[in-house]
Amino acid sequence: MTQSLWTLRAGDGCRIIRFDDALAASYRVRMMELGFHPGEIVSCVHAPALGAPKVYRVSNTLYSLDDEVALHIHVEPLSHHE
Amino acid sequence: MSKIILIGSPNSGKSLLFNRLTGLHQKVANFPGITVDVGSGALSGMPGTTLIDFPGTYSLQPISGEEQVAVDYFRRALDDAEVALVLCLVDATRLEKSLYFTLQVIRECARHGKPVVVLANMTDVLDKHHLSIDTEGLARDIGAPVIAISARSGKGLNDVQEQIRRTVGGQLAAVAADGVDTPDAILRGNAHQLARRYGPKGDILIRSQTRLDSFFLHTGLGGVAFLLIMYLLFQSIFTWAAPAMDAVEALLAAVSDRIVPAIGNQTARDFVADALFSGIGAFMVFIPQIFVLTLVIGMLEDSGYMARAALICHKPLRLFGLTGKSFIPMLSGVACAIPGIYAARSVDSPRKRLLTYMAIPLMPCSARLPVYTLLIGAFIPPTTALGGLVGLQGLAMFCIYFFGMLCGLLITGLVSRTRADRYSDLPFVLEMPPYRLPSWQPLLRNAWHRCQHFVTKAGSIIVSVTIVVWILGYFPNHGADLGSSWLGQMGHWIAPIFAPLGLDWRYGVAILTSFLAREVFVGTLGTLFGIEGADENMVPLVEHIQASNLPLASGLALLVFFAIALMCVSTLVILAKETRSVRLPLTLFIAYGLLGYGAAVLVYNVTTALT
Repeated sequence: MTQSLWTLRAGDGCRIIRFDDALAASYRVRMMELGFHPGEIVSCVHAPALGAPKVYRVSNTLYSLDDEVALHIHVEPLSHHE
Repeated sequence: MSKIILIGSPNSGKSLLFNRLTGLHQKVANFPGITVDVGSGALSGMPGTTLIDFPGTYSLQPISGEEQVAVDYFRRALDDAEVALVLCLVDATRLEKSLYFTLQVIRECARHGKPVVVLANMTDVLDKHHLSIDTEGLARDIGAPVIAISARSGKGLNDVQEQIRRTVGGQLAAVAADGVDTPDAILRGNAHQLARRYGPKGDILIRSQTRLDSFFLHTGLGGVAFLLIMYLLFQSIFTWAAPAMDAVEALLAAVSDRIVPAIGNQTARDFVADALFSGIGAFMVFIPQIFVLTLVIGMLEDSGYMARAALICHKPLRLFGLTGKSFIPMLSGVACAIPGIYAARSVDSPRKRLLTYMAIPLMPCSARLPVYTLLIGAFIPPTTALGGLVGLQGLAMFCIYFFGMLCGLLITGLVSRTRADRYSDLPFVLEMPPYRLPSWQPLLRNAWHRCQHFVTKAGSIIVSVTIVVWILGYFPNHGADLGSSWLGQMGHWIAPIFAPLGLDWRYGVAILTSFLAREVFVGTLGTLFGIEGADENMVPLVEHIQASNLPLASGLALLVFFAIALMCVSTLVILAKETRSVRLPLTLFIAYGLLGYGAAVLVYNVTTALT
């Protein structure tokens, strides 16, 4: 059962499954260059109010992504023991 | 002559390292056609060796036109026989982020037969938290020397200089060519594994970062902090720069007072006093604002807060085709468009930067204030309500300020939805750098270079335009009467244009001269009405306009015209310099001129019909 990265709330963790085709190929490559590659574990660190971009942690770096990007990254939620 | 290339991903501390290795002496150039600086400077203690500072990039696989130019330039530089070494800077605290790019650089250098040294920066932060990276292991696996450094504390920089000396002396071989065909996907996987194997263990750094983010990105407290910081930024442009601006004006006046009386010829005297010194003053007065704003924005960027501010503003600005990074340039534009346009360099998406450039001239800058004050004073009665709490004149000022901002947002919103995508866009993916104390030296250097850029690029054009306008206003009657000068004649020619607004030729002349700076409108109108010193004390001019029975409709039309029209030569010049083209400033000048005029005619007719 996959969901988009954008649906994560602060404190949630997930594993990246794939990118949506709606995300331009060049953007997909850039996201992978930044560490958002399939199989990688990502956590949502901050989810500010009013639909502002959310802050995600990948490896030891924090990135802010808005829904235009995060909606097209498909993830599976991590179970609590992962 | 040897050249050393310094390259690294954004937020890896490259500017500070460049500053450390070269001292304060550097030249800044631009890539042709884009606003990306390439600094170069002689390496301290190594005469004949130049360090070239390339713009920070996440990858050698570009996703925008600007990145393409920068990456192509890097590849061409590797073909240069004088390039002896590539220094690739990585952030040791976030190794994985930098390592993929590093592996790409190493592969590219292997293809061109150049040696690479990897500099693992920010190890002072690791030391502080009792963390480390395995430089020897990493060097062994990537096939290039790795030096642990701290650009901030100076740790390891002697080793860097020693490595450069050895390389220039031919003692460091080029990268082995066995990995030249490794595909990017493999490099990404390798970077991941190398970071896990040799990078710092634990997440103590990121935990301290997220604690601060809990405050600065908090819905309530973060919003208050944001408003407070933006208020300080705005104050810095308006208030902190004011004494320096006054000092510049006073200095020019003092120099003028000493030189002008010594000139015998009347025309030459008038030229030096009114054309030359006015022209120099017209652009010199911007320098304190540019310096202060560049410094404050640099502090915000260096401290890590700028990324948070962009995040907070992003959602509302996205509605209008802009990005969160557009906010600070637009806010700066409320004080003055010039520093605002410079600040727009921080908008990384070329398309959104273009839209930001379009919005900035519509922000109600401080030069519009004297014009608004005059017109509101003349046409809006000083009526108050709610026991004096609400004044009609103050309300009118608020409305015209808000009108300018709204126009800017509506225009960018409209253009972003209709314009063909000639400029490449970038998604909102923003690295949140760690919070840290700013380093003053590079910030001061950057502010100084920005001022130099303004003086050298815009100064001569602004002075030239001032001189042309002075000649038109001075001849053929040698300054005896502005009304019968060439400028006055032009005012008569263009009078039919302003007749639909109920304005006579004198307002046309004042609008023409306001092209130098909007506030000149007030002084010119005063001169034409025979009121001296109107720019210092507007009351006699306000009374004169009121006595002339100019209708309210004309006053409101003028207000709307000045809110929209791009009547500022300095803004046009800087826009042309920043975009490397006259196309955008010319388009905006014509479009905002026509729009301002059209809106003014509309307001005039509606007001006339209603009153």
